[in-house]
Amino acid sequence: MRKCKVFVGNSHPELGHLVCERLGIEAAPCTLKKFANGETSVQIGVSVRDEDVYVIQSGSPEINDHIMELLILVSACRGGSAKKITAVIPQFPYSKQCKMKKHRGAITARMLANLLIMAGADHVVSMDLHASQMQGFFTKPVDNLYGGPSLGKWIREHVEDYREAVVVSKNPGGTKRVTALADSLKINFAMIHTDRRRSKDLYSQNKDKLQLKQRKQSMLRKNKPIIRPGDFENEEENIILTNGIQTARVIKGHVVDDEYVDDADAIQSDGEGSIGTIGSFDAVDSEDDEEDDEQPEKLITLVGNVQGRTAIILDDMIDRPGSFISAAEHMVKNCGAKEVYVIATHGIFTGDCLEQLEMSDDIHKVVVTNTYPISEERIRKSKKLVIIDVSSIFAECIRRDHYGESISVLFDSLASL
Amino acid sequence: METSKRMSTNSIKLLAGNSHPELAQNIARTLGLRLSNIGVYQYSNQETSVTIGESIRDEDVYIIQTGTGEQEINDFLMELLIIIHACRTASARRITAVIPNFPYARQDKKDKSRAPITAKLVAQMLETAGCDHVITMDLHASQIQGFFHIPVDNLYAEPSVLKYIQHKTDIGNAILVSPDAGGAKRVASLADKLDLNFALIHKERQKANEVSRMVLVGDVTGKSCLLIDDMADTCGTLVKASDTLLEHGAKEVLAIVTHGIFSGSAEQKLKNSKLSRIVCTNTVPVDLDVNILDQIDISPTLAEAIRRLHNGESVSYLFTHAAI
Repeated sequence: MRKCKVFVGNSHPELGHLVCERLGIEAAPCTLKKFANGETSVQIGVSVRDEDVYVIQSGSPEINDHIMELLILVSACRGGSAKKITAVIPQFPYSKQCKMKKHRGAITARMLANLLIMAGADHVVSMDLHASQMQGFFTKPVDNLYGGPSLGKWIREHVEDYREAVVVSKNPGGTKRVTALADSLKINFAMIHTDRRRSKDLYSQNKDKLQLKQRKQSMLRKNKPIIRPGDFENEEENIILTNGIQTARVIKGHVVDDEYVDDADAIQSDGEGSIGTIGSFDAVDSEDDEEDDEQPEKLITLVGNVQGRTAIILDDMIDRPGSFISAAEHMVKNCGAKEVYVIATHGIFTGDCLEQLEMSDDIHKVVVTNTYPISEERIRKSKKLVIIDVSSIFAECIRRDHYGESISVLFDSLASL
Repeated sequence: METSKRMSTNSIKLLAGNSHPELAQNIARTLGLRLSNIGVYQYSNQETSVTIGESIRDEDVYIIQTGTGEQEINDFLMELLIIIHACRTASARRITAVIPNFPYARQDKKDKSRAPITAKLVAQMLETAGCDHVITMDLHASQIQGFFHIPVDNLYAEPSVLKYIQHKTDIGNAILVSPDAGGAKRVASLADKLDLNFALIHKERQKANEVSRMVLVGDVTGKSCLLIDDMADTCGTLVKASDTLLEHGAKEVLAIVTHGIFSGSAEQKLKNSKLSRIVCTNTVPVDLDVNILDQIDISPTLAEAIRRLHNGESVSYLFTHAAI
């Protein structure tokens, strides 16, 4: 490709070089290092005058350093009279902060967008932005590529009997994403809702009803469930199966049965009233905050049916493991799901997230794309992790953009190259 | 509430555009103020002209204009921009646009190739005209707040809706239903607060030209269903959803929406529908000859927001509590 330079930042060199390989070019030489005082230094080793410049930088664990590096790189190219600068950011950092979460919360994703434009970016390419409205934060064009088709392709090829599978959203906020994938695969979907413990009376009422043996759960189980500490023999009564909605309790991130009494329970119930008002106040807030630690006890509800089927939990990113694990436990132990796959575009795996998902018996496979760097050691150690390569999508986007071709074919629900 | 009596009214000015005079009157009455004297005319060539009939120098100005009208929505937007600009040039200290229903809010993302993000454009236009602050209600997507560089207070109708459900519906036998997947979050949040179950309807598009099928997730047999959404426009979705629910054995279906836009053939559709009630707030004027319509007045919430903003108090109380 003539008049085109691709710079690869330090955040995710593997992806950057895969993209370059697909484009059949070498990454443009540049030196990215740090001064002794911690300041980032960038030197561009080739002329960019009047060239079409692409800078590939993703989010990473050293997120702020790499944002700074990206801004300096873009700014250096602008200073070097590049014709057009495109920031390719496979996983957009700070994208969870795309709205006012709490009162007086900062919309950091918009600030980052402003910084990028200010540094001199003319165009931004990203994948599966946390909210597609984020495109409106930029005053320059943004192409939001989709990871869904690649994930869909993997499901078609690797999930046995995928036509009988169910795509599950682990929170109401992600339902749209889930229905889009379910529609494209022409399969069913379900949704999980986790909320603060509703009034205990309501719950015990329902339980009494259940003890009247309206529905026997034992037939749900073909296999003997794995008995964990805290589980009793009468585990069948651990569920309220009323009209296709299954509810169970979650304490400290794990599904428990009704007899389980938590030490903190008494204290918790005292404060419940106040939690009700301060906790989650609007439809927007309760979304994807995984406040496992703040609320020791919650109620998990499955809306839909996964009985005897494979469940695929889909989200845009896997950040913390708590909600995935409790969702998987609920579906396998209480709702009779056959296998649970956890699938997302961005595998961020903060802390020991991957290891915890690994340890959960109820999760069969964890599938992510390579938009975010995952250390080789972690990949080697993990038996459940599957990584899908999406470099071809970015390479094709860069090629088409450079030649001024339409990239809308990449948005096509069938496109997975 | 004590403070509202001691409120310093010397520098608050309420200006009303032509889009929703009734709401503006309600707000003014709640605040114990009168609407400032302004004239909004159209020249014979349809250009809008604004005159502000009293001094607003160094005043705290609130302009009430909502997004409404099949024919006039752009006129009202233009009117709002011109009033803002007129106040700016007339040396107002601070200009706050009170836009209960944000126009073009549904064009908030590039969902198709080459689709414009018009909500962003509207945000930029408001800022360019000279707006310092925006008060709105139930934005279609809260990310629209990020389209502005000025502060935006996105108020919620949820507390008022909550009150309505608690007092005026058969809450003991109710179930909340979201008519599409995108609204699941809104419904789940309400369900939590009301201790109710909820269900979900999804429009499935198997093929491009095939008639869309509605899938119900959850069970509604014998229940009184409350369909919750942020807006009702042509009502096609609501009517279809209510049919689906009744097919699945629902006892009755009520629809509760924040913005009752009711454009196009909405009136006809609602008349022929099996909905037993449709409830909306008065963020937009509703001119609908349908006997199943009920309205929730949200002007107290807007008035209280204006009062708190003017006095420099926190607005977050209104996110969880309905003003009286």
